[in-house]
Amino acid sequence: MGSEDGKRHRLVLSLNQQQIELVDRTIANGFAESREALFRLALKEYDERRGAKADA
Amino acid sequence: MPDTAAVKKAQSRNERRLLDTRILEPGTGKAFELRKGEVLRIEQAVGNQCVDFNCFNLHDYKEFMHCGRTRTVHGFNPTEGDFLWSAPPRENAMLYILKDTVRRNDVLFPRCSAFLYESAYGFDVHTNCHDIQAEAQREYGLTPDDVHDSFNFFMCTEVARDGRATITRQNSNKGDHVDLVAMMDVLAIPNVCGADIMRTSNFALKPVRISIFEASENDLAAVPNVASMKSQRTPDQFRNAQIKATRELVADPDYVPEFVNTPIEEEQIVLELDEAEWAIFEEHARRDIYGDDHGAAFRDILFSWWEDRFLNAASGAPSTSGKTHD
Repeated sequence: MGSEDGKRHRLVLSLNQQQIELVDRTIANGFAESREALFRLALKEYDERRGAKADA
Repeated sequence: MPDTAAVKKAQSRNERRLLDTRILEPGTGKAFELRKGEVLRIEQAVGNQCVDFNCFNLHDYKEFMHCGRTRTVHGFNPTEGDFLWSAPPRENAMLYILKDTVRRNDVLFPRCSAFLYESAYGFDVHTNCHDIQAEAQREYGLTPDDVHDSFNFFMCTEVARDGRATITRQNSNKGDHVDLVAMMDVLAIPNVCGADIMRTSNFALKPVRISIFEASENDLAAVPNVASMKSQRTPDQFRNAQIKATRELVADPDYVPEFVNTPIEEEQIVLELDEAEWAIFEEHARRDIYGDDHGAAFRDILFSWWEDRFLNAASGAPSTSGKTHD
């Protein structure tokens, strides 16, 4: 499902209509400007939270 | 000098009016009509007695207290500050635990039954919570099949490391009690647990006292607001609201399934990550579950993050603040 293209790594998410609804509703609530931005935010905050938990 | 008017006012706010009180003898149970705003007290008359409990909407017996829902919201040992919830698709707060002097209750174990005492102990007949509940509920026209999983007051249970649930002895004293505020009109059915050859009630059956009060102002003020949701459905929203009156199950030839949000269809969304992002992703990707399926691993991160970030209460528990419950 993923491929390497130079320094970019491509992956394909399969999301159903309900999962997309949640993603889009989160965007509509102002947490990100696009799906791509929300995905990046999720990765960043997931990492921060897991890092914080590991430190705790 | 104390302000006698103020003292009297404070007293009146705390004043409960006793409506009924009686002793439940060992081997028995009793159905009580409890109106919204009334308080049911389940009290140890001697001590160390487990009390099993069923509860129905007084105006619609198909809505009943659901241990699974209650367990999901409040854990294995609900206590003071927790609610007793009805089953989906109603999922209403039926009762609120206003006071619990022991704080050891159980929603893991099912009611004991005649089958248990026959299979494990060889009894032809033995006091058991299912049959006691059924006999008490019969007063209101319910059948033995209507008895549901019981909320077990004063029952001490634990989950062992191997995942099995175990019962331990209890240590409640005369006068220990649980006060439940009715959030709706209910039929409340406590029974003295029939287990005298298990440690549930320390190997003896004792009476318990049941009292019903009109709640005081302070009692009602202590009950948190419960959010009201569209998904808390009523029978007038059911596609089939008619209660089935025959025992045989026969397929409806005109039945056409109407499952919500079907068909479930997936959309493919491409995401590109740079080297630094990919390194973070690789650090957290659950390869043990998803192997080389990067998309599935990222989806796990996405919705795990969402739960961490936005889920206000564990296990989908409804908020107890915000909109007021009707």
